[in-house]
Amino acid sequence: MLTRALALLVAIALVTAACDTQTGPGPVAPTAAAEGGQPDPNGELITNMGSEPDTIDPHRASFVGEIAVIMSVFEGLMTLDPKTLKAVPAAAAKDPVVSADSKTWTFTLRDGLKFSDGTPLTARDFERGFLRTCDPATLGDYSFVLYIIEGCEDWNLMDPRKATAAELAAARGRTGVKALDEKTIEFKLREPAAYFGSIAYMWVGMPVKAESLEKGGEQWTEPATYIGNGPFKLVEWRHNQEMVFERNELYWRGVPKLKRWTRVMYNEGAVAFAAYRANDLDVIGVAAEDLRVVESDPELKAQASDVSGSCTFYVGFNASKPPFDDVKVRQAFARSFDRVSYVNDVQKLGTPANGGFIPPGIPGHDPNDEEQKFDPAAAKGLLAASTYAGQQVLQNMRFTYSSNARTKTRVEFLQQQWKTNLGIEVVPDPIDSTAYAQLVKSPETLPLMFILGWCADYPHPQNWLTTVFHSGSLSRTGWTNPEFDQLTRQADQDPDEAKALETYQKASRILSREAPVAWLYYDAGKRLTKPWVGGITTTPIDATFGQFRLWEIYVTKKG
Amino acid sequence: MLTYVVRRVLLLFPTLFVVAVIVFALAHAAPGSPFDPNPDRPLPPQTVERLNRYYGVDRPLYEQFAMYMGNLVRLDLGRSLVQDRTVAQIIGQQFPVSAQLGLQALFLALAIALPLGVISALRQNSAIDHGGILLATLGTTVPSFVVAIFAIYLFGLNLGLVPLVGWGTPKHMILPTAILALGATAFLTRITRASMLEAIRQDYVRTARSKGLSEQTIVVWHVLRNAMIPVATIIGPATAALVTGSFIIEWFFAIPGIGREFVLSINRRDYPLIMGVYLLYALIIAVANLVVDIVYGLIDPRIRVSK
Repeated sequence: MLTRALALLVAIALVTAACDTQTGPGPVAPTAAAEGGQPDPNGELITNMGSEPDTIDPHRASFVGEIAVIMSVFEGLMTLDPKTLKAVPAAAAKDPVVSADSKTWTFTLRDGLKFSDGTPLTARDFERGFLRTCDPATLGDYSFVLYIIEGCEDWNLMDPRKATAAELAAARGRTGVKALDEKTIEFKLREPAAYFGSIAYMWVGMPVKAESLEKGGEQWTEPATYIGNGPFKLVEWRHNQEMVFERNELYWRGVPKLKRWTRVMYNEGAVAFAAYRANDLDVIGVAAEDLRVVESDPELKAQASDVSGSCTFYVGFNASKPPFDDVKVRQAFARSFDRVSYVNDVQKLGTPANGGFIPPGIPGHDPNDEEQKFDPAAAKGLLAASTYAGQQVLQNMRFTYSSNARTKTRVEFLQQQWKTNLGIEVVPDPIDSTAYAQLVKSPETLPLMFILGWCADYPHPQNWLTTVFHSGSLSRTGWTNPEFDQLTRQADQDPDEAKALETYQKASRILSREAPVAWLYYDAGKRLTKPWVGGITTTPIDATFGQFRLWEIYVTKKG
Repeated sequence: MLTYVVRRVLLLFPTLFVVAVIVFALAHAAPGSPFDPNPDRPLPPQTVERLNRYYGVDRPLYEQFAMYMGNLVRLDLGRSLVQDRTVAQIIGQQFPVSAQLGLQALFLALAIALPLGVISALRQNSAIDHGGILLATLGTTVPSFVVAIFAIYLFGLNLGLVPLVGWGTPKHMILPTAILALGATAFLTRITRASMLEAIRQDYVRTARSKGLSEQTIVVWHVLRNAMIPVATIIGPATAALVTGSFIIEWFFAIPGIGREFVLSINRRDYPLIMGVYLLYALIIAVANLVVDIVYGLIDPRIRVSK
């Protein structure tokens, strides 16, 4: 029994460690070219996907590893331009036609689109996909992304076992997704949403064949019925072992350059690193632990490239409890730790979060935001001027975090900084990760201090400022601000892109100044690529590398 | 004998029921939800509520338990709350892998441990005895994840003798089988050696010697047979432990077994999977013990079970 318990402890430590290496996808590097040699027409790529995805159903998935699979096999109405991260047409022939009130969006499909099995792809397949995400019986994690569509939320929140079939059908009928004909699909939104084009690239809107769902039932995500319209098709799935993809010869942009792409499931980062060195893997992400080995080996160093991420990590202060109900105390804490030395000494891979909530590379990043600039003298002054100056409540505050070795070092660094720069002692309070997720979810149980992160779903400021900190959304800091709410709302609906960005920036500055959270770092990574792999275009929001140009990836003969 | 076996088999049911009650209570006592495991990617409360409602996780615990047991009686283990597979599918696809790995390791361990333990005992304090003790100490004290990573680097990466990780061909199985067998080998060697030494010193062995029996006859008929009783006792639980999957070995070698699934299911509060795997383990351990008890009687007439 003892060994089981021990195994479990180790397990939890390992799981968290390995998942950490999985977060932080994406990079911005120019299209990498393989050294010498032409693309091998029979080229095969082998990479590591870490672990078995829970589901690869586009209308249910929510995790990076799952989305990586979906994005290889399916393609939405829109995709993203890897340089600007703006939505550009994919299955749609051109940009959508938006009505004057910005509430009706009409997309027209390209001619001659086909699923990978050769059957024609029509607007009805897209309609089916979008509706399936809104359908309460689908039980999707990410359905809320489509709540902006008229009627989607009402339908989605019905209880499919209590409501009658007629009620459900009526709710479905009220949902604002409609294929007008074989090639045209129209969306009615419940309010203007300038970011809807960005949503149309997401997995929640992938087309699906009626036949797949009928034949496959709950198991339709197995290779026989998992049929998409993207550059690759899933040909084999050995659960917990590997997934094998082959190129989709019918892909409308032309035949992808890779013939075969195998994604194995090695959980353990050290093992994946060894496998890369043995040429068993062609591309891997580098874990912080392996950084020194990479830096000291000239061969590995030459194969390394920087990858910027799409996540921002921050320390939260519960603004509904003393002493953090005083903005001066929050500001004092936010301004009294050195982000640069944090990244250099602790995080290793990452960028100091000097510039607000939205990370570099995502529209809305604000490099001139200095509201939380490291300044111990100013921080001390703020603390002395606060209502809680010199009071007992400032001492021995609990800093709650999800228990794993990596977060522990982060918390200890901050503890040290606050002790040195503010003379305040905080008490680290590690708890089990699933329990932690539960605590930070509701305002009643929110810890006094905590540490969290946020990663982009789609590259738009709305997905950051409104989704996370608007009082009507996920905001879990006990902080609300009417001006912030009003500004974000206004920007969300503003069809003028430049003006909207300006408004978002105003809101973002308020957030930094009010400091319900203190920005810690933006994630970033390093990737190792064998010299025989080329054609990878990276963006900060890749779920898999090269996500927005998968058909261009190639290998030459392996050396 | 037959009535004994039937009685023991019938006793399995209440045992499994008690295990089910305890595991169910403990799994649900741990805070957290299967649907929103990631603090950085919160789902809107309505979404979580909806999922809880659909899967019945919001009902009172006794009701959920009654529902679970009702399905279990109909041999329905339910669906995983987080994966797109049923619990029966997950166990069906992954348990055979763990069982194969475990049985291979068991046979390897027995093939090494039994002769080594016997020879060590017969040649006490010889070089082979010291070697055996060293192996036993190492196998017990060095954690398998250390051995695993070391072996992967040495045999896989530096020497290139075997594939690094993965599962499928016999070559893939060499390292994980050997490493999984290491702990069991150490343990079994120690037990065999100790019980041999004890048996050698018994009066009936002295009697056998004084009768002038050959050394070979003494060892095979009088010593070994008695020395094997404690060993047989251990083999039962050892088999159960090995075939139920080693999380660590499966994790490092990326083996699609049930041990990895077991640990992850707990971490993720996937209640039906936790229950399914736990009941499977309980069943295997109970059956293994039953088999040992029956075998006891066969090798040792003193503990004939029918009495």
